[in-house]
Amino acid sequence: MNDNLVEVRDLKKWFPVQTSFIETLMTRRLDYVRAVDGVSFDIKRGEVFGLAGESGSGKTTTGRLILRLIEPTQGHIIFNGQDIVALNSKQMRELRRQMQIIFQDPYASLNPRMKIGDGIGHALEIHGIARGEDKRERVITIMEKVGLTPAATLYEKYPHQLSGGQRQRAVIARALILTPELIVADEPIAMADVSVRALLLELMIRLKEEFGLTYLFITHDLATAKYICDRIAIMYLGRIVEMGPLKEVYGHAGHPYTQALLAAVPVPDPHFRRTAALPRGEIPNPVNPPSGCRFHPRCPVAIEICSQEEPELVQIADSHYAACHLLTR
Amino acid sequence: MTEPLLKITDLEVSYATRAGLVKAVDKVSLEVQRGETLGLVGESGCGKSTLGFSILRLVRPPGEITGGQIIFNGEDLLQKTEQEMRTIRGKRIAMIFQDPMTCLNPLQRIDDHFIETVRTHEKAVSAQEARQKAAELVDRLGIIADRLTDYPHQLSGGMRQRIMIGLALILNSELIIADEPTTSLDVIVEAQILDLMKELKASFELSMILITHNMGIVAELADRIAVMYAGKLMEVASAVELYDKPLHPYTQGLLRSIPNISLDSQKLETMPGSPPDLIEPPPGCRFHPRCPHVMDKCHTYEPIMKEVEDGHRVACWLY
Repeated sequence: MNDNLVEVRDLKKWFPVQTSFIETLMTRRLDYVRAVDGVSFDIKRGEVFGLAGESGSGKTTTGRLILRLIEPTQGHIIFNGQDIVALNSKQMRELRRQMQIIFQDPYASLNPRMKIGDGIGHALEIHGIARGEDKRERVITIMEKVGLTPAATLYEKYPHQLSGGQRQRAVIARALILTPELIVADEPIAMADVSVRALLLELMIRLKEEFGLTYLFITHDLATAKYICDRIAIMYLGRIVEMGPLKEVYGHAGHPYTQALLAAVPVPDPHFRRTAALPRGEIPNPVNPPSGCRFHPRCPVAIEICSQEEPELVQIADSHYAACHLLTR
Repeated sequence: MTEPLLKITDLEVSYATRAGLVKAVDKVSLEVQRGETLGLVGESGCGKSTLGFSILRLVRPPGEITGGQIIFNGEDLLQKTEQEMRTIRGKRIAMIFQDPMTCLNPLQRIDDHFIETVRTHEKAVSAQEARQKAAELVDRLGIIADRLTDYPHQLSGGMRQRIMIGLALILNSELIIADEPTTSLDVIVEAQILDLMKELKASFELSMILITHNMGIVAELADRIAVMYAGKLMEVASAVELYDKPLHPYTQGLLRSIPNISLDSQKLETMPGSPPDLIEPPPGCRFHPRCPHVMDKCHTYEPIMKEVEDGHRVACWLY
């Protein structure tokens, strides 16, 4: 059997920009936001693969494309050896038992009028796996696994009666109830209280071991990613600029953007003084991304070729890839 | 020692809810010295923002200041009339909010924001002069003066936050309250704004209260740090002292459980439980259900704030 649970090949998602009727008549041209613009990567069975970047980098869109919650414009998503882009919606629903998502905001992802236990077990009914007493038992078991205890009491509560950390545990439990192979976790701890985050992170690591899960961990927070990811890909304006084992990427960042991101993270130490220069400006408009390397207008070390040719992702060390002209000269 | 710029004594802010009275800020005493940046840290719901708003008397009903004193430059702000407060807000005490998009008027050009701010408080200044002053200021904030004729939506998030900082600085306020000033920004822009604030702190000799949940940000900016938990002040110390020698078990736990980018520290420690419900806060010390050093008396008696070392105060029975 293949090592890779997921293989993403040249995946693209272009969203059309809304224009007024008159504008459409006048210009006859559609603009697109290139949210994801040709990314390829593999997620190995049993690993935590991180997808990091700033807002607008396309990391969340990539996560949703993998579950086909939105349709790709182009490219292939191979899950367990099967290209899922070609599947119809019935086949896709069947397949989603094996792939679940955890969203950032547990408020928005739990039905406020459904009891916690029923919310967690809802998927069991939808997929015709269990109902009634059987469902309840399975839900209680999973609630105990994620630390929602006393499970029998919390089963009857509504989402607003739980604390933020408990709600996020409920969302994790719901993702696990179908015993999926892949979990796409989109900023799963960003909304939690600071003192609760570490606990949730630890829980996710423990559950991964126990259930043999594979995570796609989407985050903007490189400090958090350090504690959970085995490998990481850094995205910028819809492209992967660097990818590799976490320690390798953090320790020997090849791309100037990765270096800047790492240097910009506030360090909880008053003795620490940031020395690295920060890139100029902010992420440009993804409708008209810069020519050549998309980072070149902000790059402190850009050279002439950077504005002309888009650099390819090339291997710079053992399974460590980066897309920068300076690395291939 | 000179008189502090701001002296808060036993401040209480309560919210009347259907389930009962919630004390969002419970007998908090704090000082801000001239020229210093005080970091006010804590998790969501700990009362740090409410404390910030109450200094400007901007706590909205059902919230109400129910006790204490706020002495600003020798004057008790809680005794002021609403009319008098209006001459203080924006002029002598300015605030920088988290989300610049909701604070800037989308129908007003940027320069009109500046002109309005200046002319509200200084009627003698002409619009032309105010605009000139704004142009000089935004230049120091890294924005070309041409952008003053833009509308807020035409600016990027980082530029909008620079404008917010400009609006707080234009009247040379004596105190600036910054409530999560970089939370809505991406990490690189956040670092740019922090660098800017550091520079401004020195060149304008700002006195500032920096409210944030991010221990990394206070470490970069604050001279002194106050830690809040469930409406209570837990610990106050100089920034260096607080990070090097945290005394309160909550501060210790918080510092150990925050992710750090450095590859040397690989282990993340966890803190059990979650912050309490303020409708029924735990009796005694509010942190006792989560505290690793809990003793008998923590269950019943509330610890008193004690100065353990010079300038280092902590509310914990261990000391």
